[in-house]
Amino acid sequence: MKGIGFAYALHMTGTPIIVAEGVSKTFGANQVLTRVSLPVMERDVVCVVGPSGSGKTTLLRCIALLETPSEGRIVMQGQAISTPGQERPVKAAARAVRSDIGMVFQHFNLWPHMSVLENLIEAPLRAKKMPKDQAIAIAERLLAKVDLSDKRDAYPARLSGGQQQRVAIARALAMSPKVLLFDEATSALDPELRREVLLVMRQLAQEGMTMLVVTHEMNFARHVGTRTVFMDRGEIVEEAPGSAFFDSPRTERAQRFLQQFEE
Amino acid sequence: MFKYQFRWDVVSGSADFLLSGFQMTLIISAITLVLAMIAGLIIALLDMSKFQPARWLGIGFGEIIRNTPLLVQLLWVYYVLPIVFGVRIEALAALIIGLSLYQGAFIAEVYRSGIQSVPRGHSEAAQVLGLTPVQNFTRIVLPQAIRMTLPPLASNFVQLIKFSSLGAVISVSEITRRGMELSASTFRPLEIFTFIAVVYFVICWPLAMGIRLWERRLQAR
Ligand SMILES: Nc1ncnc2c1ncn2[C@@H]1O[C@H](COP(=O)(O)OP(=O)(O)OP(=O)(O)O)[C@@H](O)[C@H]1O
Ligand SMILES: [Mg+2]
Repeated sequence: MKGIGFAYALHMTGTPIIVAEGVSKTFGANQVLTRVSLPVMERDVVCVVGPSGSGKTTLLRCIALLETPSEGRIVMQGQAISTPGQERPVKAAARAVRSDIGMVFQHFNLWPHMSVLENLIEAPLRAKKMPKDQAIAIAERLLAKVDLSDKRDAYPARLSGGQQQRVAIARALAMSPKVLLFDEATSALDPELRREVLLVMRQLAQEGMTMLVVTHEMNFARHVGTRTVFMDRGEIVEEAPGSAFFDSPRTERAQRFLQQFEE
Repeated sequence: MFKYQFRWDVVSGSADFLLSGFQMTLIISAITLVLAMIAGLIIALLDMSKFQPARWLGIGFGEIIRNTPLLVQLLWVYYVLPIVFGVRIEALAALIIGLSLYQGAFIAEVYRSGIQSVPRGHSEAAQVLGLTPVQNFTRIVLPQAIRMTLPPLASNFVQLIKFSSLGAVISVSEITRRGMELSASTFRPLEIFTFIAVVYFVICWPLAMGIRLWERRLQAR
């Protein structure tokens, strides 16, 4: 245990790419997150697990700047990019790093009125003002990477769920994000389609992509994740490097949570 | 009925008279169509505004217009506005204003439901990818909303053209009014109003069909 703790401490010494600092979030009277602090280091693959309703999605949405924290802040490379007040400099900082944060959603959220290629080049063209031929070249390279070159001109409705999610990952990668957030990217998929998406995610992890992954895929967290974060009722209950969380969960809540995956 | 002697020459003999009414109907419809779409946009924007008084205004106005008869509104604009505000509005202007507002209030609902039918996740994905709110609306939300909007918009257009016939009541010389005048002098309502019904059908039906085809082409993707 000591050895692991030491390695863990070493692992934490880099500069974090993005940090949730004491983030709380309430919706009306409902406190969904309570002072959650989570730094994500470069090349980290942080897996967030926990029961339904524990606030995992809300945490991710705060980091993706889709929700404003009620307390605390989101910091990217030393700069606050989201605070409860959303002051002017914070907003400006957020705009500057907007495309450094990518997100993959549970329900893919591809734009149905655009072809696969158009989905991929839209943000580079509009948000980065990239020349079209360059955007297309990048998109084609990414489509090859997720093994969907033949679907370049198809519309999303014609693709399987697994294919749609791989397109969504490619679309996020097209903006060359520094960190990629996944919110249960495989939960909406049939079991036989999950593998193809998990393979892509695993490949990204191996290439050194910094990832924050909310998932119910315990095998992915155990074998691909560098850190596992266990959330329950809006709090981070336990945090451990890689597979240590699964081999020796310290808290009773985590033990109970893991038991349900044992059958 | 079998003994009835059709006298279609009543129609053909007054072709010019009826044609001028037909032209007026087309002009009224075209102008009103554009104005109603603009009015609808304004009302929809008010409805969805984050500024509460604007929202109340949009919703209140829309509800009143949608829940009172068009004919009463036209009579109101034509007869009441001059009394209350002392402005005498020409019948034609009254018809165009009244009809634009009326159809605009319905079109506003069409716009609103079209925009709200686009899943939030689509614009959240765009937001995370760095599209500005304006780009998000024009590139992601609007193209999808328009598709949802086409069929109800088409039926609104058709309705608008048909409702322009109510102008006859406030003596706007569109085709229905012309028909009323002609039948008063010739006592031949059967031929005249049959002809006029066919004229409306010939304008409205192709319009409805055209939009349906366009819609099908968009859906084929
Ligand atoms: N926009 C919102 N308004 C009100 N309540 C919300 C909102 N978003 C989330 N919540 C509430 O916050 C709590 C946590 O939700 P969240 O989606 O973050 O959980 P989760 O851990 O992602 O759950 P799951 O595993 O089911 O996806 C839930 O009780 C949910 O009802
Ligand atoms: Mg969730």
